[in-house]
Amino acid sequence: MSLRNLQGRVAWIFEEDDFDIDLIVGVRNIKITDLNELVAVTMTDYDPGFAAAVMKGDLLVGGKNFGYGHPHYPAMRAMRHLGITGVIAESFSPGFFRGEISMGFPLATCPGIRAAVARWDEVQVDWAKGLVINLRTGHALPLQPLSSAERGTLEAGGLVPYLKTRLTSEARPVGSS
Amino acid sequence: MPQTMTEKILARASGRASVKPGDDILARPDFVIAYDFPGYTDVFFKETREEFGVEKVARPERFVLFIDHMVPAAAPKEEELHKMTRAWGKAQGVPVHEREGIGHQVSAELGYATPGAFAVHFDGHVSQLGAFGTYAFGARKGVLESFVSETMALTVPPTVKVELVGKLQPGVMARDVFHHMVRVMGPSSCAFKVVELCGPVIDDMSIEGRQTICGQAMFLGATTMLIAPDAKTLDYVRGRSKIELEPVYPDPDAAYEQVVRIDVSSLQPIVVVPPSPANTRDLMDYLGIEVHTGYLGSCASGRLEDLRAAADVLRGRRIKSGFQLHVVPTSQAIMAQAANEGLIGCLVEAGAFISSPSCDYCFGKIATMADGQRAVSTGTLNTPGRMGSVDSEIYICNAAVVAASALEGCIADPRPYLAHAASAVGSAT
Repeated sequence: MSLRNLQGRVAWIFEEDDFDIDLIVGVRNIKITDLNELVAVTMTDYDPGFAAAVMKGDLLVGGKNFGYGHPHYPAMRAMRHLGITGVIAESFSPGFFRGEISMGFPLATCPGIRAAVARWDEVQVDWAKGLVINLRTGHALPLQPLSSAERGTLEAGGLVPYLKTRLTSEARPVGSS
Repeated sequence: MPQTMTEKILARASGRASVKPGDDILARPDFVIAYDFPGYTDVFFKETREEFGVEKVARPERFVLFIDHMVPAAAPKEEELHKMTRAWGKAQGVPVHEREGIGHQVSAELGYATPGAFAVHFDGHVSQLGAFGTYAFGARKGVLESFVSETMALTVPPTVKVELVGKLQPGVMARDVFHHMVRVMGPSSCAFKVVELCGPVIDDMSIEGRQTICGQAMFLGATTMLIAPDAKTLDYVRGRSKIELEPVYPDPDAAYEQVVRIDVSSLQPIVVVPPSPANTRDLMDYLGIEVHTGYLGSCASGRLEDLRAAADVLRGRRIKSGFQLHVVPTSQAIMAQAANEGLIGCLVEAGAFISSPSCDYCFGKIATMADGQRAVSTGTLNTPGRMGSVDSEIYICNAAVVAASALEGCIADPRPYLAHAASAVGSAT
């Protein structure tokens, strides 16, 4: 199985380093589990028109150590519901990275990305080539490779399906096929 | 092969003679720890049963659950979540500790912080069990693996050794030391790595101070942080440890990815300014900023030495009229001891609002700030909105700074108050 490439517009650039993603929905809303309620508060502190402007397939761009702080799940759940298919950042905070890969949400570590794109540029993440390409400028940047477990988790669509497959294969007696 | 503490613990947990950074292993957690929170435990319980067909978790004695958030419940659906947690614990034979304090602290009190053990949680602040030489990993959603199997797939992380040398000056607390580490090393300096903390400053430091520092490992990017057990550690865990394990120490010639030496002799109290825990500054540069509320508590701070420091500042004084000072001891055991020592009475007489232990002050669920308000806080985070309105601000500092700021209504230096308290004690003896 190979990882599907991402292609979409840059719906937002979080310019800050050490960005705390709870700010996307507001810390006061992190206990909300209903997606419609969450979407109603998503990005309202940044761009009230965000939800209306986003299209399925769009991507987010972040700075260094993106997801620093306490990276609760509601922000990216809401983003996925709006159609966001992944985040490309200079680097990720480990807690955020582990958590979202577990959710099956693609994250691409790509030093230099912040300066290489403008909002609404069309970009492509090519996992096989290991590149992030700005389709407007033609500029390509290398992305850092995923570990085999991270890649496996994303290919399976998240930790739950990945674990199911892995635990089944581990339970198989040695020598069987 | 010489090994770090992490490598030894993970080697034992994965049944190998040795491991090295980068090895992919299947390790058996000795403890699986969680607190109930919507979207986490409720989801884990559901997925364990519905996705994996696991009706009963294997070896329930590995598990412990805490009810420390949404305590006391403020809405029926919060209490519904707690009911679900209690019912799951009962059905599975898993203990649920409720209203005993913040789980990361109570875990230590109950003996889950066994030196040499491997513990997992979804929340990264569990790293504070590293103060006792436990490898405690906040796996986020990955903790689900421990609900549905007895193992967890891990990649052995490299270790950064941080040696703290020198001598802390009066008025400088463990909290200052940690945020100074972030300032010196950088907020992502230890990303996907483990910190092994040592040195004379740690040797001299209380168990509580070590918990404070280890619990914040995530703000260096670290997977977790550990301190080799010493006499203080072994004294604490004696009679508490849930399992019997040989304590683990690093080999003298263990291979570290990096060794960082930080001299803290000239360290002054710090303040961490909004909007992120990456922003450590010198307290002296921020004196006089008007603040309206103070929070002394959390899994990071709120232990006896924090309460004692606050009491030393506040004894015989009144906080500024209109200032809201919330003091929330980290556990019931700490609160009871504080009462026995007369600290609670001292703080109440000074005008503090004292609450039983709860996580809820730390994320603005209660004592919520309005637009334009500012807090001094020993909470874990200073993200805008973390304690109320997104237009409120949080300045993280040590417990004595919170207390001094409560007296003056602005960010204040506690050292003159502490010096006065020390000389009063000196003249009395």
